[in-house]
Amino acid sequence: MTKAIVVYLKSTAISHAMSMSPFLWPICEMLHFIGLALLIGGAGLMDLRLMGAFKSIPVSAVMQVRKWAALGVTINVVTGTLFFVGAPDQYINNPAWYGKLLFLLVAMINVAVFETTQGKKMLNVAAGENTPVSFKVAGAVSMGSWFLVLYFGRMLPFLGNAF
Amino acid sequence: MTELLASIEASPFSTWLRESPSVWAYPTVLTLHTLGLGVLVGANWMVDLRVLGFARAIPLGVLARAFPIMWAGFWLNAATGALLFVADPTKATTTIFMWKLAIIAVGVALILLLKSKAYGRGVEMDRASAGVKAIAALSLAVWIAAIATGRWMAYVA
Repeated sequence: MTKAIVVYLKSTAISHAMSMSPFLWPICEMLHFIGLALLIGGAGLMDLRLMGAFKSIPVSAVMQVRKWAALGVTINVVTGTLFFVGAPDQYINNPAWYGKLLFLLVAMINVAVFETTQGKKMLNVAAGENTPVSFKVAGAVSMGSWFLVLYFGRMLPFLGNAF
Repeated sequence: MTELLASIEASPFSTWLRESPSVWAYPTVLTLHTLGLGVLVGANWMVDLRVLGFARAIPLGVLARAFPIMWAGFWLNAATGALLFVADPTKATTTIFMWKLAIIAVGVALILLLKSKAYGRGVEMDRASAGVKAIAALSLAVWIAAIATGRWMAYVA
């Protein structure tokens, strides 16, 4: 099953381009790290406010940085998919890759659940106000899971065989 | 110079950092270096983008508190960067590493300049002047270049 996926992906034009071009892979790596910084900046600020730091910013205002975090995630999902298609055999049996995907999923489910159940409440947390426990939990889960996504991403060459 | 680098490379600590199968050697140092990058550049970009006029609902004055976060990221990366240097000192002789250091020096100077120009007089203005905006735009670009040169180092011997 996994072998068939690897064989198929490696036959695609995108995979050929990623593995043959001397520039495409490094450029995607640069973009992946730019996306990482945007994500840590945007999600980090949002998470800190949810956890009760930066109280002088109303939560409704700090919500505006979410779009930069979303931009970072989008850049990284696109470039990450290109890495996977480019060299699927590096990832498909790599435990670090599954760790990365698992905590990416945790982070995404956390934000989806938080936004749908607490989204409206965010608008009511004014400057100087503390946040409810549910906000603090969501902020901590977000920060922890994004750190683990970074950790397992960095471990790809060490726990598995990716470069 | 090359002798000095060779003796660093031959030291037991350098060998351990580079060759130990322990997850606490090279992998941990590299992970912390990546985290520091994200913290430094991420916090910097949030201030830069706000200064440039995005996310206006966030008071500019509050973001003065992002500067200690930037310095935490910077010192984490100065320390882990020094360890990566000890692990692989020959990389320090490459042109791209010189560029990376020079670009980081410019980036750090721009952080200091932004702090003093945007917050220096204790006046919490909610709109930045054209000059301060220019510093922020330059800072945004310089850290992109720093990331690019850092990544580039993975592809040189």
